[in-house]
Amino acid sequence: MDRYGYGINSVGLYLKIKHMNTIDAFVIVTIAGLLHASFQLSVSMLTLLSSHTIGAKKSHNRLLGLTNSFTFGALVMTVLLLSTISLIITLSSTSLILALWVAACGLLLGLGIAVWIFYYRKEQGTTIWLPRSLARYLSDRTKATKEPAEAFALGLVSILAELLFILAPLIVASLVLTQLSPTLQVFGIVTYIAISLLPLFVITGLVGSGHKISNIQRWREQNKRFLQFIAGTGSFALGFYIYVHQVLTPAMLGGGMY
Amino acid sequence: MTKSRTIGVVKRGGKRTTEQFDKDKLYASIQAACLSVRSPHGMASTVADSVCAVVLDWCKNRPEVTSDDVRRVSANHLEQIHPEAAYLYKHHRLVL
Repeated sequence: MDRYGYGINSVGLYLKIKHMNTIDAFVIVTIAGLLHASFQLSVSMLTLLSSHTIGAKKSHNRLLGLTNSFTFGALVMTVLLLSTISLIITLSSTSLILALWVAACGLLLGLGIAVWIFYYRKEQGTTIWLPRSLARYLSDRTKATKEPAEAFALGLVSILAELLFILAPLIVASLVLTQLSPTLQVFGIVTYIAISLLPLFVITGLVGSGHKISNIQRWREQNKRFLQFIAGTGSFALGFYIYVHQVLTPAMLGGGMY
Repeated sequence: MTKSRTIGVVKRGGKRTTEQFDKDKLYASIQAACLSVRSPHGMASTVADSVCAVVLDWCKNRPEVTSDDVRRVSANHLEQIHPEAAYLYKHHRLVL
């Protein structure tokens, strides 16, 4: 994997490609995936969908069909977003990529503070930052969902609606993935998707194996402040790591070399 | 469908029009909460009947109640006979 060494000389900003450890790349992709996984809109919608499907006396097969379709929708949208951002990065000039690394650092640091301050609302339950009108609409749509196609669309929407928070980890993962070899890129995409959607896979599995929704929701409610703290701290730490690893170190190395 | 002509229910926040108390609506929501926590159908029906009876008794001498009151009285009784279902019943608006 390459990384950009840069500095300022008599003709202005320059870039120089250097090699980056593949392990570093996968550590960044894994942490970005975990950060994405800590955002809870999709999990809340899946919990609500399962609860209403069971409460409406639907069959177990119908329940599995809806939860699997929802998870598949979330997966498709995550892959689409990751691919789109990666394509834009691939088509960008090296100076823009450098700017994107700097922007990603800023986004992650800001995201960490935003998550600490207002990701969860200060009330009972697991209500999140979403405007109440949008939350009500999504909640009503989720409760009214009866067909797998609707659940699939809901899965797509659940990722889009939280784009404000998941954009930073997506950009970071894309920046890293575009610098890998094609084989490693596929492996990196699978790693990011598997980690970022892990909570949905777990809930689908728990609901499918007959666990009570109330236990899942109670666990989420009891641990929401811990999850919020971990997500904020993780974002802050990743932003700082990328700043040192991708912005500061190459600048110092580049500056020293020329 | 069982509807009381005498009890008006003022909706949440008082913004929507008042509607008549609908026992079937309450029954369905309690039953759904019980089923959501994997209670057997028979138990869900029994619990729903019990909660409806308590709420109807509470409403007996009141010409008008609020939907929040109905939810509170239902949740309080449900808490005593089925705490798991009561948790979901009370929190389903606070998931998202």
